[in-house]
Amino acid sequence: MAFKMRHAYKKKILYCGVVVITLMILLHPDMNARRSYEYIEKDNIVKNLHEETAANFTSTAIVDCDYYDIIHDETSLSISIVGGDLIEGHKIKEGGEYAPSDCKPKYSTAIIVPYRDRAEELRGFLVYMHTYFHRQHIHYRIYVVEQVDSRPYNRAKLLNIGAVAAMKAGYPCLVLHDVDLLPLRPANLYACTEQPRHMSSSINKFRFVLPYLNLFGGAIAIVSKQFKQINGMSNEYFGWEGEDDDLYSRLEANDLKLCRFEPEISRYHLASHTPVKKLDMGKKAGSFTKEKMAADGLSSLQYTEPGTRHLRYIQGLKSYKGLTNQDSNFCKVSLR
Amino acid sequence: MVNTTLTIQDILPYGSGRSSGKKFDMDAILPYLILPGLLLIATISRPVTITIMVIIGMGALYVHSRPRQKNRSSFFFSWTMSSGISMFLVFEGGVLGFFEITQLENFIFLLLLSCTCYFFYKMKAVADFELATGSSKGKEYSPVLTSDSHYCQICQIEVNERFFHSIWWDCCVLRPNYIYFLAGQVFAFATLFFGTNLGLTTVCQPYIFYGVILMPQDCDDVYYEFNLAICFVCCVYGLGYLLVITLVLIRQLLVYIPKYSEPQWRKLVNVLNV
Repeated sequence: MAFKMRHAYKKKILYCGVVVITLMILLHPDMNARRSYEYIEKDNIVKNLHEETAANFTSTAIVDCDYYDIIHDETSLSISIVGGDLIEGHKIKEGGEYAPSDCKPKYSTAIIVPYRDRAEELRGFLVYMHTYFHRQHIHYRIYVVEQVDSRPYNRAKLLNIGAVAAMKAGYPCLVLHDVDLLPLRPANLYACTEQPRHMSSSINKFRFVLPYLNLFGGAIAIVSKQFKQINGMSNEYFGWEGEDDDLYSRLEANDLKLCRFEPEISRYHLASHTPVKKLDMGKKAGSFTKEKMAADGLSSLQYTEPGTRHLRYIQGLKSYKGLTNQDSNFCKVSLR
Repeated sequence: MVNTTLTIQDILPYGSGRSSGKKFDMDAILPYLILPGLLLIATISRPVTITIMVIIGMGALYVHSRPRQKNRSSFFFSWTMSSGISMFLVFEGGVLGFFEITQLENFIFLLLLSCTCYFFYKMKAVADFELATGSSKGKEYSPVLTSDSHYCQICQIEVNERFFHSIWWDCCVLRPNYIYFLAGQVFAFATLFFGTNLGLTTVCQPYIFYGVILMPQDCDDVYYEFNLAICFVCCVYGLGYLLVITLVLIRQLLVYIPKYSEPQWRKLVNVLNV
């Protein structure tokens, strides 16, 4: 009898042990995907924005633009805009520049979009973004940088090239943006915060979760001075992965903390036909060093610009209606 | 020194007595090879997935159309176990690998799954206990069947208050373990529903259904990568299972729950009559 009881007792302990161990294994303590994270409250957004317009920008309007209503805008934009055309009288200037005429914008932003080979998608992106920005009362310009050589796609270097052009034009704020990402909420103001901002923290393809806290890719906003301070992005990442983790390491090395807006505001749509970007968290511990950061980046940027700006772009896209050279500042580059 | 080692036989509800004599049972091993094989083949393309799902469905229908006593084999129970294990492994190894499931969601999934396992385990354990010692102990032969005793052709035993025999669980469902069977089915339904939703919204393009509830919308490019494809195929298989469980639950609702609660009603009516 005593043996039987001891036997049952042992069985129970064994069960508990097995359950605890399996739970520990299965709960994945390293798993960091989250729906919620630390963010700037809606009411504090305006306070945290970096208020500055482009060096040579002047507005004839008298009243300042008001951004309170935009940030508290509860609506979402429809993705179907992608298939449409720009509205008549959109007032976009040569090179994809626009500023509201009825009020004086407080923020100037350069949106830099690396691109290759997806003309239809780019068309949809430009139409959508221009429609989207018309609701935000900001002064902006879209820079599209296309890689024309046959080397592997180098997103980071293209962003560097666009950033240099935008900074030369005097833009105080850069938004580094993927062509397949579309912001859904007009409340997600395309202006820089004092700290670099990760804008696309709630992407539909990722089930609207943030896969890991240090993710700093997709769409980000950074003040030009800070981008210069961290020496831009690395030029060495040919292919798809790792450049955003490298960028995060650069921020860390310069004591810049990233910030975000709340998940509901930061909703993005990722075009479905793009191959899934595999998130690789193991890579971020990679080969990043401060010395490398100083040597590799904006300071070592080399490229050539074959052909004229604007022109070949228009020729190439003639078959897609509704695009003119007004839609973006288009730049074709060959990476060396 | 007394024997202190525990074997798998002790842990399984079957007990060591019944299966110790059996040697390697081919029927019990086959599903662990066939099902993963079929699921792997199904990752090739959409038409192949559809074909294989239809074949599995037809196989299940064929099994149910056969005379019941022919289905006395451990194959079906192994099939259930193999399905559960395959889907679980794909969820933990594949779906979680995309870093899109939050810890809370994973925890809820595991909780539902452990409830399912517990209730089905309990169901089998109670059935074994009842058949061996309990009130509905089988009789080898009875010249007259009383109104509440039946002959189970699969267990080849006569039992009191028998409800039905489930070949997929290789177990007689009687009055004492019926409630466990029902709870197990309900939790299996919940687990599969939650799991397939998590899986499909991960591999497909999701949209916001209501609040934080997501639904899959566009599953066009799941076959480009093996990881995506195997998760997708398992989710489709899970949806098939979900359908079967729904049918079972509807049947319970219409047939067995009234039967199960009948004595209680009768008691209540008697009390009221007095």
